Amino acid sequence: MKSVTIITGICLGCLLWGLTPFPFRVPEHFPPPVYRFRNNERTKEGFELGRKLFYDGRLSRDGNFPCSSCHQQYAAFATYEHRLSHGFNNQFSFRNAPGLFNLVWQKELNWDGGVNHIEVQPLAPLLDPHEMAEDINHVISQLKKDKIYPTLFNRAFGSPGINSQRILKALAQFTGSLVSADSKYDQVKSGKVRFNTYEQKGYEIFQQKCTRCHQEPLFTDFSYRNTGMATDSSLNDFGRMRITGRKEDSLKFRVPSLRNVFLTFPYGHDGRFATISQVLEHYNSGIIQSSTLDSTLKNGISITNDDRFYLINFLGTLTDSIFIKNPLYSDPETGLRNSAPVDVH
Amino acid sequence: MLMTSFQKSDPSAAPSLMIHFQAYVHGEPLQLNKKYKNPFGEVFELNRFRFYIGKAGPLYTESGFKPTVSTGYQLIDFSDTSSTRIEIPASAGGACNGIQFQLGVDSADQNKGAQSGMLDPAKGMFWTWNSGYLSFKIEGYSPISSQPAHIIAYHIGGYRFPNSTVWNIKINTTNEEVFRITKENRVTVEVPIELDYFFDGPTPLHIKEIPACTIPGPEARNLSENFIASFTGLTLITNK
Repeated sequence: MKSVTIITGICLGCLLWGLTPFPFRVPEHFPPPVYRFRNNERTKEGFELGRKLFYDGRLSRDGNFPCSSCHQQYAAFATYEHRLSHGFNNQFSFRNAPGLFNLVWQKELNWDGGVNHIEVQPLAPLLDPHEMAEDINHVISQLKKDKIYPTLFNRAFGSPGINSQRILKALAQFTGSLVSADSKYDQVKSGKVRFNTYEQKGYEIFQQKCTRCHQEPLFTDFSYRNTGMATDSSLNDFGRMRITGRKEDSLKFRVPSLRNVFLTFPYGHDGRFATISQVLEHYNSGIIQSSTLDSTLKNGISITNDDRFYLINFLGTLTDSIFIKNPLYSDPETGLRNSAPVDVH
Repeated sequence: MLMTSFQKSDPSAAPSLMIHFQAYVHGEPLQLNKKYKNPFGEVFELNRFRFYIGKAGPLYTESGFKPTVSTGYQLIDFSDTSSTRIEIPASAGGACNGIQFQLGVDSADQNKGAQSGMLDPAKGMFWTWNSGYLSFKIEGYSPISSQPAHIIAYHIGGYRFPNSTVWNIKINTTNEEVFRITKENRVTVEVPIELDYFFDGPTPLHIKEIPACTIPGPEARNLSENFIASFTGLTLITNK
């Protein structure tokens, strides 16, 4: 794929400390990203450090829950086949783990947009007592005691020292690098291949019925919407209202990207839909009316059985197998997995 | 009261102002882990009391003195008395009748990603699930608190309209008494924080009713107004 380099300046760290430049490239058909690695220029050393941290269980209280326990490359960095993810001490996460890709285009993170910057995102799961249940100062002291990390931090940042800022910046160099732009859809857009008849028909239906929220090419408009899902009294999750405190935001959740949607099941903020078919049927016949329901969903979205068949064919073209098999993003110790993750928790 | 004192300092040093924050309960200097009663007769003790300030500077009464303010933030933490004294740059010679500072971290500095120094999230003043730095944190115990282990916890933050807990505060000396900062004299001002008014403020804070407030919103904003009320009037008591 043709691409454009966005980092045009010379990496200062590369000049001063001999770091290896690793410019971030924006796919040609993507808009400019929100996060541009400003004050955190991407280098090979920083990226590799972030990658190692992402896969390191020492970032969790009992060692069992690295970032990668919930964000698995096989599932486009969502949790494979789990409504909610396992966390510390037999607990579950509050929400369905989203896939991690194209994060540098997101202004806010989490289902409710509560996190305002990609660099501070890892603090949420790290400190959450249901997830990694750690303490940032404890993580820092563990890493300082390690044989390799002090050297890796020194190399990545040009001076000795491990602190929260460096951990977070390194992680952002890794997670910000997770770009998914090589699906069949992308190859069709760049003229390399064509949709088959079913996919093409599905794409046309998609453009009529879905793109208002799932806008191309990122397949989300990053807005927060109430899609008419019944509240679950065991979760009492009112979405974005928790962040803004505004009644108008009750039951609103971020529109998720549909890229890699075949890999990120189950669906919905609480993972209540096991299949894409169930999600489509929800829009067709399952919308629950409420005062904050999205205005475009008052009458649901009519999706016939034929529509469903074609839509699913199209959505399959959003699977990016190059992304999920890219060894650059895999566990630096165990390498790429070629089979579904085993549920070890 | 604003208490000031003067010391001879190195004449080559840049002019500066020392600000000393001192917390009081019933007119006595606050001690952590000591039992007090609030104005409603509720027993409490504090084990943590911290707040962020930024953009601190003297208030000049004369024109021609461009107000200088400090850059960056300071975390005032009453478990570390050295943090309660801060030194800020000042223009020399002008007549001053008070100080100004910002309570909390403003929106421009809330969205900058991973930060270090005073804004290191490891300092425990950062909300992870609803990104943002607290303006202040007051924690302790009260037998009347319904929270687990009788904890009281006022983690007050939020920087977005209409529930911002970030304030620009100006505190004048009583009777407009004037002090001057020069290169030679290092001025120290004491800023009392009378915590009685944190409870008996514009929104009466009964521990029994509000033992904790740990999310942004209207209540947090109201309690931040109470906190401001505890910065009581300033009196210049020393001017040599």
